[in-house]
Amino acid sequence: MNRRRISLSELVLLAVLAVVSGFVYWALVQAWIALQIAMGPFGDLAQHVLIGGWMVAAPLALYIVRRPGVGIVVELAAALVEVVFLASPVGPMLLVVGLVQGAGAELAFTLTRYRRYDWGVFVASGALAGLASTALGIVRFGWLTQDWFVWRLGLQVASGILLCGVAAKLIGDALARTGVLDNTPLGRARRQATPNPVPVA
Amino acid sequence: MNRLGRALPHDSLLHRRNPTVKLAVFFVVSVLLLVPVDPWTPLALLVVAVPAVLAAGRIPWQTLGAAALLFGPFACSLLAVNAVTRDGPVVAEVLGLEVTGTGVAIGAALALRTVLVGILAVAFSLTTDGARLMTSLHQHARLGARPTFAVLAGYRVLEDLPERWMTIRQAQSVRDPRRRAGTLPRDPGSLTRAAFTLLVVALRQGERMAIAMETRGLGSGPRTVHRPVALDRRDAVFAAVVLGVCALVVLASWHVGVLRTWDTV
Repeated sequence: MNRRRISLSELVLLAVLAVVSGFVYWALVQAWIALQIAMGPFGDLAQHVLIGGWMVAAPLALYIVRRPGVGIVVELAAALVEVVFLASPVGPMLLVVGLVQGAGAELAFTLTRYRRYDWGVFVASGALAGLASTALGIVRFGWLTQDWFVWRLGLQVASGILLCGVAAKLIGDALARTGVLDNTPLGRARRQATPNPVPVA
Repeated sequence: MNRLGRALPHDSLLHRRNPTVKLAVFFVVSVLLLVPVDPWTPLALLVVAVPAVLAAGRIPWQTLGAAALLFGPFACSLLAVNAVTRDGPVVAEVLGLEVTGTGVAIGAALALRTVLVGILAVAFSLTTDGARLMTSLHQHARLGARPTFAVLAGYRVLEDLPERWMTIRQAQSVRDPRRRAGTLPRDPGSLTRAAFTLLVVALRQGERMAIAMETRGLGSGPRTVHRPVALDRRDAVFAAVVLGVCALVVLASWHVGVLRTWDTV
């Protein structure tokens, strides 16, 4: 585990990730509203299909910066961007949502002491983020006393695995191939793994 | 959305309040709203809150109404899904699904809570300048200089995002042999490619800004603040009035006997 103080360039990178995530999250809210209307009386379940997309910043930030806490920090910052700059209708509770989802996604990396970044860890990260999000839903909306709890839980975990864990690994690898992450821990780790990489056109 | 963190360009009581105090009060009210699950308490708070934010923020009701339409579908779907998925006395049957009285009450409570928080969120955003909030968080909430300026740098990126998004989409469209004049492709593949390019461009811009900030010595020691944000007795009065009114409404709801929580519903 790297205990060096986080650098300013890494902080700005996290802020940029949070801002772009906040922007994409806001766009996802528009897709969510459309899906809700399309699903009629079952529209409330639409959020579970898309929930993973709202948590992808945490594992992506951890994959790139590889430092304890950055998953939580980037989710909190993305929530702040949504609340303050994009007027999210969820309000400041979104900060709690970001904190809980970020902590859930980060747990898988904490358990491997921030040393493993393989598919298994990303799948676990997405699943744990989905579980954390479900736990918060139980408190906020009383899901446990509703008929469809198992559906909610299953959809949240599946969406967490696909749209959060797996998507974060795919986006991180794609970003690294462009060279934009060369000066980050992810870029350095890739250079060490392949000493003479073939440049991408 | 097109304002991106900029308050409405006029002065008002809510504009003048300290942004950190406003955010903290809004947060406490949001947490308080988690308690009631009967429709009457959030309805009473809504009746108080709407004229209060319209007057105190001098917000045009059309602006507030248009913003409220955005979270209307979420509120309606909360009501619909809760009405048919909660145990309790059956009051109707719709499309083969049993609608229960308990479900309708909880659904209405959650829907009204959503509308109330949404209206407060819009009022907060329309009366709070994003950069001023970050300065205030640095001054009054002890947010460090480096994270503060990192978020402000991110804010600069955010301001450029809509224009960059359009430029990227136009550039990709002009290279697309299937393009139709005057339109941009809307298929998921085009949008995904544009979103990925936007992320790459934003990260490059962030890297350039980080180098510029490090070159100017940001983060190497204490810093002064340009245009400091005031925090005075009027902010304390504002917090006391808002939280006091909320507490009074909840107490009145309990006194009348309509207050329900998850334990008593």
